[in-house]
Amino acid sequence: MKKLLLLLVVVMALCSCAYAETDSEYVKSKGVLVVGITDFKPMDYKNEKGEWIGFDADLARAFAESLGVKVEFQEIEWNNKILELDGKNIDCVWNGMTLTPEVKSSMSCSNPYCNNAQIVVVPSANAAKYDTAEKIKDLNFAVEHGSAGNEQAIAHGFKVTEVQDQASALMEVASGTADAAIIDSLMAAAMVGKGTGYENLTYTVALNSEEYGVGFRKGSDLTFLLNAFFEAGYNDGSIAKVAETYGIQAALIRQ
Amino acid sequence: MNTFLEQLPVVIGALNVGFIQTLKLFSLTLLGAFPLGLIIAFGSLSKIRAISVTTQFIIWIIRGTPLMIQLLIVYYFPGLVLHNPIWGGGEQGRFLAATLAFVINYACYFSEIYRGGIQSVPVGQTEAGLVLGMTRRQIFFHVTLLQMIKRIVPPISNEIITLVKDTALARIIALQEIIWAGQAFMKGSHGISGAIWPLFFTAFYYLVFNGIVTVLLAKFERKLDYFR
Repeated sequence: MKKLLLLLVVVMALCSCAYAETDSEYVKSKGVLVVGITDFKPMDYKNEKGEWIGFDADLARAFAESLGVKVEFQEIEWNNKILELDGKNIDCVWNGMTLTPEVKSSMSCSNPYCNNAQIVVVPSANAAKYDTAEKIKDLNFAVEHGSAGNEQAIAHGFKVTEVQDQASALMEVASGTADAAIIDSLMAAAMVGKGTGYENLTYTVALNSEEYGVGFRKGSDLTFLLNAFFEAGYNDGSIAKVAETYGIQAALIRQ
Repeated sequence: MNTFLEQLPVVIGALNVGFIQTLKLFSLTLLGAFPLGLIIAFGSLSKIRAISVTTQFIIWIIRGTPLMIQLLIVYYFPGLVLHNPIWGGGEQGRFLAATLAFVINYACYFSEIYRGGIQSVPVGQTEAGLVLGMTRRQIFFHVTLLQMIKRIVPPISNEIITLVKDTALARIIALQEIIWAGQAFMKGSHGISGAIWPLFFTAFYYLVFNGIVTVLLAKFERKLDYFR
């Protein structure tokens, strides 16, 4: 077994030595930037024609264009995002990703481009009872496994149930199996309240403030190219225009 | 897009697309695992010890680990460890990887069922065949095979019905089968967000399809009745 492991390590080392081309050259040589996403309104979602739109999707398309390559959106299982990236099945994670210490240590991350908060969602009927961080401390929370909301819950010492994704966390609250959920404020704005599928839910307390960024493979040079792209787009107002389309202009971060 | 009646056609459309993936994975798995299982069964029945021990070792590994882990290994191992993402990032590559993992997994289960079927045919029949001057190949195809098929239909039916539902595991590598399609409406898809019912509605698809499979298998079993 030891010999086998050693052999594996040697093979891996050899492979990585032979690999000299930069990440941007790799993407350009295959002619397509594969963007890892999940269905997440208002960042990446499908319109009636089945095309991917959203603040992140539109910018990813423009960034790929600036590289001279095509863009391809690939839905991924969010828990596997680092596997997908390192295994080269996708070239970046661009999906309203909160820049947590964990994300920053496993990917090469762009500058933050959007503000977000982790926000508490409760049934509307209980909203008045649970409007401060002090009043909610004894509730049972549903949070996405490994999410920024999960980290906030732990930091506040809340009782949590970890579920597969943020949408499942909302379902827990809607079905009464959890008292409250902690999800991204940008998502909460699009998904709960009047005119949404969760009309009886509302959001109350913001637990923190945080930032969204784009993740590339470790050591990738695409990160620098994207930072330059963000800066140019922020300065000429084109990013603000896209943000207005999706109603998130207030959350933009100066580049 | 908020009333149920407005949502229904959109959801059905999306679930149908997902269910086609489910059906494709189901049929290709059967197509690959039926013959591969027979080859593996011959391997574990082999008189050459090296072959039978190796085969049984492989069966132990495949049956002893979760299919979900096998899916992750088949799909991510080439890119992560060999630095050669042979499957690519697209839906097609994910489908091929899932099919490979399912075929290998189900072939191992099938092989054990085949082995039971082959060994249940009395050895006297083989001896009689040999006395009559038949070759072992002739004996297998003309004497043993059909009796074996007759006997393995009930356990194989079990596996087939399990397979219909096991296809849902492929969502771990983001294969967009029907449960994935149903779950997408919880976040927002096709202009509908926060809808929970499509996820539970997928059960109806499995139930109807398994009903059809059960009827077909019962028919097939009756056809084999002339052996009695």
